[in-house]
Amino acid sequence: MVLLHLNGHAQERQITGKIVTIDDDAPLPGATIQLKTKKTSASTNEQGLYTIRANTGDILVFKMIGFQQQEVMVGDASIINVSLRTEHTKLDEVVVIGYGNKSRGDLTGSISSVSGADIVKTQPTTIDQALQGKVPGVVVQQISGQPGGGVSVQIRGLSGFSNNPPLYVIDGVQILPSTGDKGTNPLSSINPSEVASIDILKDASATAIYGAQATNGVVIITTKRGVSGPPVISYDGYAGGQALPKYYDVMNLREYATFMNEKGGIIGYDLRPQFANPQYLGEGTNWQEALFRTALMQNHNLSLTGGDARTTYYLSGTYFAQDGIALGSDFKRISTRLNLDNKTTDWLKIGASLQLANVKENVTTSQTGVIRQALNQTPDVNIVNPDGTWGGNDPNVYGATGTNPFALASIVKDFKNRYELFGNAYGEIQFARGLSLRNEISGNFSTASEDQFDPIYTMGAYSKTSNSATYFSGKNSFYSLTNYLTYWHSFGNQFNLNAMVGHESKVWEYENVSATRTNFPSNNVQAINSGDATTATNAGAKGQTAGESYFGRLDLKYNNKYNLTLNVRNDGSSKFAPENRWVATYSGAFSWKLNQESFLKDIKAINDLKLRVGYGLQNNQNIRDYAYGSTLTTVATSLSGNAQLLAASGNPDVKWETTKSYNTGLDASILDRRIEFSVDAYYKKTDNLLLSLTLPLYSGMIDATGYAPGSIQSPYINIGSVSNRGFEFAITTHNVKSKNFNWRSNLTLSHNKNKILALNTDAAALYGYAGSTVITKSIVGRSIGEYYGYQTLGTYKNAADFAKYPAIPQKGGTALPVTNGSGGVWVGDVIFKDQNNDGIIDESDQVFLGTPNPKFQFGINNSFNYKNFDLNIFMSGNYGNKLFNQVRVDAENPNQNFGYFKNVLNYARIGLIDPAGSASDINNVYITNPETTITRISQSSGNGNQRFSDKYIEDGSFLRCKSITLGYNFSENFLAKIHLKSLRLYGQVTNVFTITKYKGYDPEIGSWNPLAAGVDNGYYAQPRVFTIGANISILNK
Amino acid sequence: CKKDFLDRAPLSQITTDNFYKSSSDLRLATAALYAQPWNDWNGFPLLGIGDILSGNMLQPYNADLAQLTSFSITSDNGQISTSWRCFYKIVGHCNANIKAINAKLPDSVPVQSKNGALGELKFLRATAYFHLAQLWGAVPIIEDNDQLIKNPLLPRHLLSDVYKFIINDLRFAAASLPIRDQPGRVTTWSAQGMLAKVYLTRAGISGSRSQMDLDSAAFFAKNVINTSGLTLLPNYYNLFRTQFNDNPESLFAFQWAPGVGYGNGNAIQTQFAPSGAIVPPGGGWGGAIGPTFDLDSIYTPQDSIRRKATFMLTGDHYPELNASGGGYTATGCSVKKHIVGTATDNNSPTMDIWSSPQHNTVLRLADVYLVYVEALLGNNSSTANSEALRVFNMIRKRAGVDEVTNITTESLRNERRIELAFEGQYWFDLVRLSYYNPQGAVTLLGNQILKNTRVQFTYDPSTGVKTRSASDMVITAPTIATFTLPIPATEITADPKLLGAPVAYY
Repeated sequence: MVLLHLNGHAQERQITGKIVTIDDDAPLPGATIQLKTKKTSASTNEQGLYTIRANTGDILVFKMIGFQQQEVMVGDASIINVSLRTEHTKLDEVVVIGYGNKSRGDLTGSISSVSGADIVKTQPTTIDQALQGKVPGVVVQQISGQPGGGVSVQIRGLSGFSNNPPLYVIDGVQILPSTGDKGTNPLSSINPSEVASIDILKDASATAIYGAQATNGVVIITTKRGVSGPPVISYDGYAGGQALPKYYDVMNLREYATFMNEKGGIIGYDLRPQFANPQYLGEGTNWQEALFRTALMQNHNLSLTGGDARTTYYLSGTYFAQDGIALGSDFKRISTRLNLDNKTTDWLKIGASLQLANVKENVTTSQTGVIRQALNQTPDVNIVNPDGTWGGNDPNVYGATGTNPFALASIVKDFKNRYELFGNAYGEIQFARGLSLRNEISGNFSTASEDQFDPIYTMGAYSKTSNSATYFSGKNSFYSLTNYLTYWHSFGNQFNLNAMVGHESKVWEYENVSATRTNFPSNNVQAINSGDATTATNAGAKGQTAGESYFGRLDLKYNNKYNLTLNVRNDGSSKFAPENRWVATYSGAFSWKLNQESFLKDIKAINDLKLRVGYGLQNNQNIRDYAYGSTLTTVATSLSGNAQLLAASGNPDVKWETTKSYNTGLDASILDRRIEFSVDAYYKKTDNLLLSLTLPLYSGMIDATGYAPGSIQSPYINIGSVSNRGFEFAITTHNVKSKNFNWRSNLTLSHNKNKILALNTDAAALYGYAGSTVITKSIVGRSIGEYYGYQTLGTYKNAADFAKYPAIPQKGGTALPVTNGSGGVWVGDVIFKDQNNDGIIDESDQVFLGTPNPKFQFGINNSFNYKNFDLNIFMSGNYGNKLFNQVRVDAENPNQNFGYFKNVLNYARIGLIDPAGSASDINNVYITNPETTITRISQSSGNGNQRFSDKYIEDGSFLRCKSITLGYNFSENFLAKIHLKSLRLYGQVTNVFTITKYKGYDPEIGSWNPLAAGVDNGYYAQPRVFTIGANISILNK
Repeated sequence: CKKDFLDRAPLSQITTDNFYKSSSDLRLATAALYAQPWNDWNGFPLLGIGDILSGNMLQPYNADLAQLTSFSITSDNGQISTSWRCFYKIVGHCNANIKAINAKLPDSVPVQSKNGALGELKFLRATAYFHLAQLWGAVPIIEDNDQLIKNPLLPRHLLSDVYKFIINDLRFAAASLPIRDQPGRVTTWSAQGMLAKVYLTRAGISGSRSQMDLDSAAFFAKNVINTSGLTLLPNYYNLFRTQFNDNPESLFAFQWAPGVGYGNGNAIQTQFAPSGAIVPPGGGWGGAIGPTFDLDSIYTPQDSIRRKATFMLTGDHYPELNASGGGYTATGCSVKKHIVGTATDNNSPTMDIWSSPQHNTVLRLADVYLVYVEALLGNNSSTANSEALRVFNMIRKRAGVDEVTNITTESLRNERRIELAFEGQYWFDLVRLSYYNPQGAVTLLGNQILKNTRVQFTYDPSTGVKTRSASDMVITAPTIATFTLPIPATEITADPKLLGAPVAYY
């Protein structure tokens, strides 16, 4: 782009030219042109034209704020045109702060951002995945690897005992993340490639402007908007294959037959004739290999952007399709977006953002639990029998009645289809210089259906003799009306004021209906009306919540050194009784740019140095609608048809949960911005925690997450206090900076410590369950959801072990007998630790076994550019968390009747010291393979070997290479020939490798329930994905 | 926004603020407690504890149920925790309703309606506590569940206080309930019958039977027998057919509705029927379940009406089960009671595997008759009391067996066992015995092991030969501790106070 010719003559003459931006050739008025060694300078006019006098051989320096400066030596040409490349220093970035924007340099609160360009590098399928490892203080964990599956996002720790999602705001539309809805992720309808930026508001000084619901942080997603200029057509697309990165090692048929023969011999039941000679058997069925497949995924996005001085537009359409790696799951998204902005008059600006999306999901895999069943099914069962019927367990085999997971995943239907409309329209009136009013109306409307069909089938011993279908249809709507007035004024150059006041009202509504019928004439006829009409049943629900808020913000800036932000907000929520309805939120933060002070101003090495401190008080209303009152539900009896049963117990005194938080941070940029870092430390204390209590069963009540027909949902109570303290660190370094080669690194690191400070009940403990087993206990002084169970000390290997560990599980207050008979404890049983040394193992010997919450979370990104190549390597990881591998409880139990892991072959074998002696004499038996961790074969052990213990708690730390991307940008010369503006081709591998001690499929297990987190019961693992893709844009002049 | 913008009452649910306004609201509130909340107990435990644990029935492979047969019930047994949860759920609902009625009911509602509703609620609460007391002995007494929010950790209360609480509730119910109501609703006779049974049971808790309690039992039983005007249904077999739901003999029966889906209805026949052909499609999982040799051995050949209504022997034909398919001929020895057939058989199109419309009884008149006999027999080993013989022989006459002139403790126990077999009662009879004759109760169960009768059997209709089935189940010898079920492990973890000694409630 630099046009110059050399000439030996040194003669001052007039040089003219035009300065434009490289992006869209727009003229740059006000740019300066300076002779490098002389004082002479000039600037461009409105058309970007300049004139300056210079000699051949002089160096012209072209400068413009926000652009990279460029130097050109004067040759013999008299016209020098220059295209400047935009320069983004982090401080110039515009950060969305809620009801307004700010440049990063002026921020006072703790806000992290992820740019659209960063998102493109990792190609996430949903936007919440894009945050992972990119933002310190944000723990992002996949709830399920199911395509479009949910992600749990925690900002700065757990501030409660229930799900604590942040507030999502997409172009002004607040999105309520739904939870527990069979893994559906409401954010999955947003196409990540349409996202311009994601701003994460972390501390109270930043989030307070959103008031209630923002206690757990705010994620503001801004989609791309039009840029004035000739239309640019872009295509972004990729396609790839996905596969399960890791399989459990299970017994093949030969091993299974051998094992079952040995087991039959020990327990004393008949051997199966077909297992008589295991060595002649084949591999049998590996159910994991049957269920998991290499699955395709593809994404195509076409966008068009452009506009003139008055109107800009961004139009985009996307098709995304992903098959799940497990049979019976897939996800398709078709969406279109239109963002429009129009400067109608000098005093009015209007605009709109609209997105229409259709998401189709097949969730049969999760719904039928086939992953767990694939780990349960035995290798002797065929997938399909030679006669074409589905394989299944032999009906003559005792106890084994598993399903055929492959068949279930293939024939059970569970199909979801939803249409979603996000819309936001605004008008901004400029009353006078510095005074504007913005009106916004936002809405989020969705209709969803779910179509389920459960056919008739026979799978060996397992059969189903009737078919049934359920059709669900629901409607959700959210709309809000927001008005705010902004006033800004500069008093000289020293003092800037920016004030904002506003009002917002919002309403959420939902309604749904479902219908069920059974007895369809055929499995092929699945429409709900084809079922037997006399079997028809239906259900439905309707609900609403409303909120209203008044808010204001004051920003003061003095001398470009000191920034002060004050927020206040008053929120009302229909969830509370009238006397507890309104609550105030406020916060304040201050920042000081130290580098502007005289004592640092001259230190060249420091480009920026800013200190921030903030404090805020916030409120949360994460409870059911109408929580202050009790509700009844309709139940059927033959006495009166429909009767009224208490469904949920209300608490008239329930009030807002409050969180106080303190934050201090330092942002710095040094050595010519080669190193930029930011560090934050925070302390958050949440009081009056809201929780639907978990009470003993004798309460007749069950907490809001549980399910037991006829139980009363326990009331929401302000139950206690929790604190979170932690620090966050992010550093960006430009390690190598040269013309052809650049290497940049990013590191984020965060640490959070959670502590329960008080529980306002004498139970002083909350429990989490896996099924009906207690797995976690939360008490004052410890963190939320720590595992709680028995500690094990290996297995009894001989009589000496019984002398060394005399405490034995009890029944009815007395220790079980040491016997190989029924109900006894014997060699090959697990030794549980007698924590209280009372000589007996009972409930009081349970202890804390670790926390599912990581101590540290980190992300490391390295990006390299060599000429036109770009390479990006992104790693992320957790350190210091534990996981409960529930799959192993069964699959490593030699006494159950399902499939086994391979290591069960090494079950504890009992040998006799004196072969002629008694097998029931404890002094005559020993374990011949003492190193084993698998228990003995015995169906009558009273020891409770599989009870919840540290045997199944594993270290969940991991380091995962999330993605490696290699791209190539075609040169401009080449592109000019084929009339393209840009073209990049790339290949990417995600989930490349994982370094972990965890034995399950995937150590990255998210949960929406902090009281039962990190539980792996046949987790749908994240796939390894290989993709190739292209980013193409065409500029139409 | 307007001031009422934030007033958002639920749109699809009634709230307690706009309920409890009229007599009909009270009827809706009480009706809800006759069916769905009892589901947890009705599903498996009712027969599992009542009949499997007592040795009437056997289920060999379900781990939880096999523990009941082998007397190796652990505190993790799922049936135990669902039962515990179920009764306390009933208690919770009754408490909430009683509190709301006392606090919110307008004066415009007639006192009679109010007391009637409170009577029903107290009857139901007492029934739940009666089950708890018989199964677990000393248990926590809860009258106001809202108190648990502040103080959730309760100790167990003395068994004698639990019985006192039950009797107080039932006395209130007996005084407040009408003598007649819509079929299916409890009446004063239900309360008095239950009261008789509670007195009879409580009589033994001190270790020997209190004559005062026996007299009270006899008094209330006699009142029901002689004053209620209720009579036995002439045909024993019909007692267990849906066409005879809520017949005059029924004093308290669950009011199951069809078509209500999983967890809400009566699923007994799905779990216990031997074949899918005789129940709604998808059910009939009870092929492996059957009567024990022990139960079968106490029936005389003459006692075939009750036998055939209780369990099937190979070759038995039941024309009304899958009638359109020509009826059902048993292919093994299986459960019959509660097996009512298909949707067509019952003219109940919405009935499905989770919702049989059978209203199985918790208390029926014949039980009260036998309670009366037992109260009159009292601490004697036999009786020829004419009142006792009269009602005892009414039971036998209906069953088509010979009348007797003398009743012994053993003949009464067997009569009850046969008359009420597979209705979940025999375990309670044994618990009642264990209070005042622990050794006798232990021996009765122990003999089932010693004599190898706690096993299933096969029947050859051509020869009439019954052959005991071999079992590899190892059965632990019962002790007096066997008669108290373990408190669920999760409950003890949640409330360690339950491990402590029971304390006084009154």
